[in-house]
Amino acid sequence: MIDGRAPDRGWIDRLVEEASRQLARRTSRRNVLARIGMALAGGSVLPLLPVARAADDGRPSVPDDAQLSGEVGDPKSCNYWRHCAIDGFLCSCCGGSQSACPPGTEMSPVTWIGTCRHPGDGKDYIISYNDCCGQSLCLRCRCTRTEGEKPVYLTWRNNDLLWCFGTSSRAVHCSVAVVLGVATKS
Amino acid sequence: MSRPSRRAGGALLVAAGLGAATAARAGSPALDYALNCQGCHRADGTGTPGSVPALAGSVGRFLQVPGGREFLVRVPGVAQAALDDAALAGVLNWVLEQFGGDDVPKDFAPYTAAEVGRLRHQPFTNVQRARAELLGALERAK
Repeated sequence: MIDGRAPDRGWIDRLVEEASRQLARRTSRRNVLARIGMALAGGSVLPLLPVARAADDGRPSVPDDAQLSGEVGDPKSCNYWRHCAIDGFLCSCCGGSQSACPPGTEMSPVTWIGTCRHPGDGKDYIISYNDCCGQSLCLRCRCTRTEGEKPVYLTWRNNDLLWCFGTSSRAVHCSVAVVLGVATKS
Repeated sequence: MSRPSRRAGGALLVAAGLGAATAARAGSPALDYALNCQGCHRADGTGTPGSVPALAGSVGRFLQVPGGREFLVRVPGVAQAALDDAALAGVLNWVLEQFGGDDVPKDFAPYTAAEVGRLRHQPFTNVQRARAELLGALERAK
């Protein structure tokens, strides 16, 4: 086998050597550096092109929380701006985040939706409060914010209900607050 | 430390605040749908089998049988929505436009605020039976 490969390796070596020498004859180091620089600069510009922007069109406009200070910008706080009407355990404290379920749980597709005002830009954002289901109660970061809550006979405005519908398990673990978009007025 | 009750502990939920209610009344049909319907029927109207009926590929069919037009206003989720009559008519028409597809009869006249206002005050005593009867009529009409 070794004997059989030897001629091939020599042929490839010669080809690469010749190509390298030709490249070296035609280009200077400065030329190579300039081309690498152009590639880097061009790569950074690409995300600004229309194609990249179009790809983002389907995503909600999520405001930047970095500009917020204190609990209103802390996803592990009941006073986090997205939690203006949440009732449950924060997934941010349970191995998930403010918009993702912890591993081993399943996000309920049936959800409560409302709006919360972002204190940074003053806009109202559409927030979806989804339960993460499939494990027992997380019991960390229990929040009860009930602004605007109505009695239980108005079920769609009451937040004491379990919302693990359409999931394989009805066991509620924690809740997330997903930004769906801006509640713009027409 | 007291252990939270299952009822209170598991819940999630919102309850769109006063600001949300204001926005819903002043919003477009798309926003009204997002805030009042989408949580259960989903953004694409597919619903959740076994829990929430689909709108997509289904809602327009009700207009093809007698009583179906009235049914779409009288179902609890529509009749009791926190929207005034004009906004409710707007979101109903929007839903039919978005999810009705070819099922919507060509001579369909959009809902008006007056019609919606009249129908939403005639609640069903047994909505499941009413729905089953309409679906049965649809099957027979095939």
